[in-house]
Amino acid sequence: MEILKVDNLSCGYEDNIVVNDVSFSVQPGDFLGIIGPNGAGKTTLFRAISRILKPQRGNIFYKGRDVGRISTRDFAQEVAVIPQILEVPFAFSVEEFVLMGRFPHVDRFEALKKADYAILENVLDFTDSASLRDRKINELSGGERQRVILAQGFAQQPHLLLLDEPTAHLDISHQAHILDLFKRLNKERNLTVIIVLHDLNLASSYCDRLILLDEGRIFKEGPPREVLTYQNIEEVYKTVVVVKENPISQKPYVILVSEEERKIKEKTCRKE
Amino acid sequence: MNNKKCIGIFSLLILMLLASFAVASLAGGSELKAEKAVYYLFHPNGSGIERDIIWKIRLPRVILGMLVGAGLACCGAVFQGLLRNPLAEPYTLGVSGGAALGVSLGVMFGISGVYIPVFAFCGSALSILLVYGIACRKRFSNPTLILGGVIMSFLFSSLVFFIFSVSRAEDVHGIILWLMGDLSSTSAPLIKIVSFFILPAIGLLFFFSRDINILTLGDEKAFHLGVNSKQVKKIIFIIASFITGACVAASGIIGFVGLIVPHFMRKIVGVNHRLLLPASVLAGAIFLVLCDAAARVIIRPLELPVGVITGILGGVFFLSFLLKVKHWDIF
Repeated sequence: MEILKVDNLSCGYEDNIVVNDVSFSVQPGDFLGIIGPNGAGKTTLFRAISRILKPQRGNIFYKGRDVGRISTRDFAQEVAVIPQILEVPFAFSVEEFVLMGRFPHVDRFEALKKADYAILENVLDFTDSASLRDRKINELSGGERQRVILAQGFAQQPHLLLLDEPTAHLDISHQAHILDLFKRLNKERNLTVIIVLHDLNLASSYCDRLILLDEGRIFKEGPPREVLTYQNIEEVYKTVVVVKENPISQKPYVILVSEEERKIKEKTCRKE
Repeated sequence: MNNKKCIGIFSLLILMLLASFAVASLAGGSELKAEKAVYYLFHPNGSGIERDIIWKIRLPRVILGMLVGAGLACCGAVFQGLLRNPLAEPYTLGVSGGAALGVSLGVMFGISGVYIPVFAFCGSALSILLVYGIACRKRFSNPTLILGGVIMSFLFSSLVFFIFSVSRAEDVHGIILWLMGDLSSTSAPLIKIVSFFILPAIGLLFFFSRDINILTLGDEKAFHLGVNSKQVKKIIFIIASFITGACVAASGIIGFVGLIVPHFMRKIVGVNHRLLLPASVLAGAIFLVLCDAAARVIIRPLELPVGVITGILGGVFFLSFLLKVKHWDIF
């Protein structure tokens, strides 16, 4: 059975419908990327799946149950959501912060158990942040901070991981490091990942399947090779690109062409 | 923070609480020899005026001071966390404004003495319900809570000034003294009612400290971590507001405790509300009892309203602390 099923979903903000009649399903172990230009409805779709926005029409099912009928706590035991921006105004230590990920699994009148601390060690090691445990979260660098935020999500021990631009504002080494973590969990633990990405090349390298959104609808769905063609990208993004093949992974990669270069090329073509 | 340091800090706080209890029981307007005070403290069945001073005036007052200080500091910490706002305090959401209006109306209609707390509490309750109603209409978001609370405070204080402008001067003076905060009008039944109310409510808040920790990450992230943000915020708001209402009813609007004690304790025990709330409870009790003792002795045999002392002494103390520490994160 599919782990997540989106069925004729329309949603948005008051009168403004942003996501329009979108349907797709996600199988356990999928690594699905959601791409599309600004304003295409990526984040709105993400917020609907993560239950912040209620569907105006249509339904979202998690393991066959309507997500609106699952309790907040039960949902958090199985689904971890990493939003694009997380402000942490209080100077929690990394350890305290990551342990918050155990919240949905711990009863109100209960203390944290040994098992919870074992999970803490585990996720700190996995995200390479064991050395940060006593540091204050607001004193970390961007890359360290993002790793700790992910460690908190992993501490929830999710079956489904929802990520909105988890690598924005990071340099390429941190981007690769963090996406590699998801890939490992995906391969080794069969964790299902749904990730919103701006960067088409990252989406191509890491996702098994892509959904290309345009103006709130699914423009194209499939493996990167089928979605990331220059025709699709030029039509949706209204930008001229060249799509080549990555010589190592044989996956498509997208190269931007600037206006100036395009005009020079057009002139030389005309002369010929 | 490691366990050893934690136990050390809490033992120290408890010792300081006992010490301030002793100091405050001995300090007062009337001359009372320390050894006699101690004697009567341990011989409650004795008779005479000194025994009555200790058992009927000072002890009730010290106990009420502890309860109110504990309640205000705890609620301050809770509201700062809940609203993710360093300037939040127990009175931010309009509780004190409602109480002031209740008291002003009561005094205007010639009611005094034991019924004043009742009017204050009714005023607070009215304000709490109004702010709750406003916030509920807007998903109980922080901006609505804060703006709703501030608007209600402003509305209530304008109404209070309106009442001032049509009242007799001596009534106005009475209301102002009450507004400044005062622990002197203590009675045994009042303490029973207040402690019956405040202590369990504070205990209840402790059970929400993990939720408050998570709510500091914002309503959405808290929701993703399994906190039903809207519902939990409603519960915490109601509990903390009614504690504040009870404190205000018992002792007037004592400022500063609820704002600065939580900041000070955050500096010492950290931002985790599981430690911060109990630490603030203890420190608030110590701080208010000592301030009240000072209020009684500074211009002996006259008394100052304790709200004035918390402002002046507290202000000087915490300002010097602020200047001394290298770097004081607000949270």
